[in-house]
Amino acid sequence: MSKKLIKAIADMKEEEALRLVKEMVQSGAEPMAIMEAAREAMDIVGKRYEEGTYYLPELILAGEMLGRITEIIKPELTKMPEVKRRGKVVIGTVKGDIHDIGKNIVAFMLDANGFEVLDLGVDVPPQKFVQAIQEAQPQVVGLSGFLTLAFDTMKETVEAIKAAGLRDKVKIMIGGGQVNESIKEYTGADAYGRDAVAGVSLAKQWVGVK
Amino acid sequence: MAASRKVIACATVIEEILPLLPDGVTCEALDFGLHLTPDKLRKRLQEAIDAASADADTIILGYGLCSMAVVGLKATGCTLIVPRVDDCIALFLGSHAAHQEQLRQEPGTYYLTKGWIEVSDTPFAEYERLVERYGQAQADRMMALTLKNYTRLAFIDTGHYDQERYREYARRMARQFGLRYEEIPGSTALIQKMLYGPWDDDFVIARPGETISYADFKVTATAGCHSLAVLVEAYPYGGG
Repeated sequence: MSKKLIKAIADMKEEEALRLVKEMVQSGAEPMAIMEAAREAMDIVGKRYEEGTYYLPELILAGEMLGRITEIIKPELTKMPEVKRRGKVVIGTVKGDIHDIGKNIVAFMLDANGFEVLDLGVDVPPQKFVQAIQEAQPQVVGLSGFLTLAFDTMKETVEAIKAAGLRDKVKIMIGGGQVNESIKEYTGADAYGRDAVAGVSLAKQWVGVK
Repeated sequence: MAASRKVIACATVIEEILPLLPDGVTCEALDFGLHLTPDKLRKRLQEAIDAASADADTIILGYGLCSMAVVGLKATGCTLIVPRVDDCIALFLGSHAAHQEQLRQEPGTYYLTKGWIEVSDTPFAEYERLVERYGQAQADRMMALTLKNYTRLAFIDTGHYDQERYREYARRMARQFGLRYEEIPGSTALIQKMLYGPWDDDFVIARPGETISYADFKVTATAGCHSLAVLVEAYPYGGG
């Protein structure tokens, strides 16, 4: 069944994918196995994008499917004792940027891995991040942006967090587009992730989960 | 021997460059699709630079940071000039500041120019492909998801004489996908300066053997050695 699910997602068959997930849940499949299948399918979609057989709309629909699948299996995931809420993450696409496919995938995957995720959406001003950190008191903050222009607002956001006296209270990760070590240095973040899996492992590492 | 210059530019920008190209300056256009894969674009640019280095003493890149594609480029035998902008939108609008202002006003903007429509990188072209592949219902859903954070379609009027049909195309597209249509005046100021100089703070200058870095694009960052060198040359007596 998970082979079929992988194929359905990779071939952009949204309704079929959702139907398969529901069937799998009903027949008692492990929620993590479903997530793993979804992740494998995302890899295939990513490869097809790189090869030029898929374009942006396919990536976006795949992200959307992943979100809907997470919604279906979330109740099952939270039943599992080992995925108790592991920590809190505040995440958003920084001011001036509205790209959110990567951010959404990271948010879904954090959610599926037991984190409580507060997603602030897109074009989020630095002060909104500061306010959310004050209120929600997360251990981890995720700043996302696709445009190179977003690297400047990531920097501004990190500075605003510092100015509010919150810099020591949170670990900050950045992601999206072409982030790398030099962008990490420029923005003042603690780490960067090149994909959603990297984002999840950073968050786990920071809250002390193996 | 007269200084010889060569321009290497993206196919979408070339339209704006050609009418202004100084006599004796050669120009090469690279495939537009490369912008989707910055690593490939970097590789292709480096090849073009290496090939051009033999004949030119200055290579002007009609690009911006372009998703970091220009970071890591170098020419051993000549100087590289790149506008200090994020991408071609700033080139069409005439400055980095104009681009930032648009972004501040409405980040959810889909930009179109004559050049883009020419190379068919538009939601319209995308939509036709999707309908063919997945049927209309799914194509509609995919387009709606793709454009969900966009509110405005801005046609940058770059002043070409045959602008009207491109304008009409852009209007039609805005209608079809439920975006507000707006026209923004373009400016050739930056392209003009890129071709004729002066290469001031609006440009990253990498001298022979120097590698372009991300820091070079950040005026506020600790100045990279190339931009510092330019500053020293421009203001030899300090101050400022």
